[in-house]
Amino acid sequence: MLCDRCHKRTAKVLYTEIINGIKNEQHLCEECAADYTSFQMDKPFFNTDITLNNLLSTLLGAYTPNTTKKSGEGRQDIVCSNCHTTYEEFLQRGRFGCAECYRSFHKELGKTLRGIQGAEVHTGKRPKGFLTSTDRMVQGLSEAERLALELQEAIEKEEFEEAARLRDLIRQLKREEANNA
Amino acid sequence: MLKWYEETVPDGDVVISSRVRLARNLENYKFSPLLEEQDAKKLVEEVKSITPILSEQDNRKYYACNIQSLSDIDKTAMVERHILSPLLAEKEQTTGLILSEDETVSIMINEEDHIRIQAIVGGMNLEKAYEIANRIDDIAYEKLKFAYDEKYGYMTSCPTNTGTGMRASCMVFLPALSAARMIQKLFEEVGRYDVTIRGIYGEGTRSLGNIYQISNQKTLGNSEQEIIENLKRIVYQVMQQERKRREYMLSLNSDEIEDQVYRAYGILKYAKQITSEDAMMYLSQLKFGADCGLIKFNREFNIHKMMMGVQPGSLQWTLGKSVGSAIRDKARAEYISKELPDLI
Repeated sequence: MLCDRCHKRTAKVLYTEIINGIKNEQHLCEECAADYTSFQMDKPFFNTDITLNNLLSTLLGAYTPNTTKKSGEGRQDIVCSNCHTTYEEFLQRGRFGCAECYRSFHKELGKTLRGIQGAEVHTGKRPKGFLTSTDRMVQGLSEAERLALELQEAIEKEEFEEAARLRDLIRQLKREEANNA
Repeated sequence: MLKWYEETVPDGDVVISSRVRLARNLENYKFSPLLEEQDAKKLVEEVKSITPILSEQDNRKYYACNIQSLSDIDKTAMVERHILSPLLAEKEQTTGLILSEDETVSIMINEEDHIRIQAIVGGMNLEKAYEIANRIDDIAYEKLKFAYDEKYGYMTSCPTNTGTGMRASCMVFLPALSAARMIQKLFEEVGRYDVTIRGIYGEGTRSLGNIYQISNQKTLGNSEQEIIENLKRIVYQVMQQERKRREYMLSLNSDEIEDQVYRAYGILKYAKQITSEDAMMYLSQLKFGADCGLIKFNREFNIHKMMMGVQPGSLQWTLGKSVGSAIRDKARAEYISKELPDLI
């Protein structure tokens, strides 16, 4: 039997497609099958992720909060400021375009990530020397302000000796500041 | 220097190897699926430039190359040895590889993510695999600016890798559970614990020597250590079940099993031509027999190394040329016969 698509080579694959309940069968040759579907005959391990990809984009869509058409149109407006990937494209492809996409999509992203990962906040490794926003804020503080934060923490932990030590340090610093002024 | 698949290893009767893979991306490039060819070239060069620093700081010799400079046989053989991912071997854009001499560490460049750091060690040793991958990550970070966000962690191309970017996995040998048709049930059971199990090269193929891969499913919300602990617990459970099943099988009909193991040896030792599927099936039976002490070799012999050696790519790589399947089957039989040690 010849291939239903190219009508040249021998058909070796029976490809069954069911879309919206309508079944469609095609007899394809290897080349057309590889072209038309995610099927590859002699490379069993070269195409495992393709099905996963399809599945993933379905999953992503399913987990997005508003999948009805109306609100879907609103989402189309979200575009990455760097690579111009839209949120819709991200859902379809199951891939971000660049690191900036994470920031551009941040409003929708939490729920999407929660859907596939069960969480939306990273708690693991932080690269050496990476400063979080809290770190940066603390860095911008004066010595006395930083000590005040530590004092508060010590009181919360009920470490009163440490708290007393910090209180004295802060007093001393403030006195010195006043003298210098 | 011994390669990871040449060493004697902890819990090697069930766990063949432990692997950790970290996905990383650079800030100043689009992610790999959107990358233009000229940027791909730049990216590969930039990442390859860390090779001498790795050799210096990691006490291993590292080599770098462009994947496009490798022959198809080289690529297939490297996929079979788990150095390259199938995706990287197939990709038409400029891609690169940094590989340690002992094949423990491979860094894939411009795969689905800009960088995939992979460390693989023999047996049940996820901590060691993570320790190595983590060290390479630290060394690389000093030179390369990775995309990292306080909230999302490491930003990856695919949201299923976001966070730690880590996929930890164990390659497990489950002949007894496979024979008892318990694998499907196992697939369903482990799925409840954020862990997946699949065939090593394809989906749930029995023919590939009863070897499966168990890995973490989620990468966000738990730390690397928590993910590894969880995976370890599951692998130990699977290991116990497999061992119990082996004992049970042996208590039930040890004569038959012994006969099967020796037959497998006979065929492997004396066949004149053999397909890779048959070779894998008999090697699997032989490994099972050796692990259970039913058969003893007159010297140290690593069956898993041979399992990789009989794959089409590795075999042609050994032959040094590309040949048709009929010649391959003969060459495979010859290779096995020569390498297989005598029995005691």
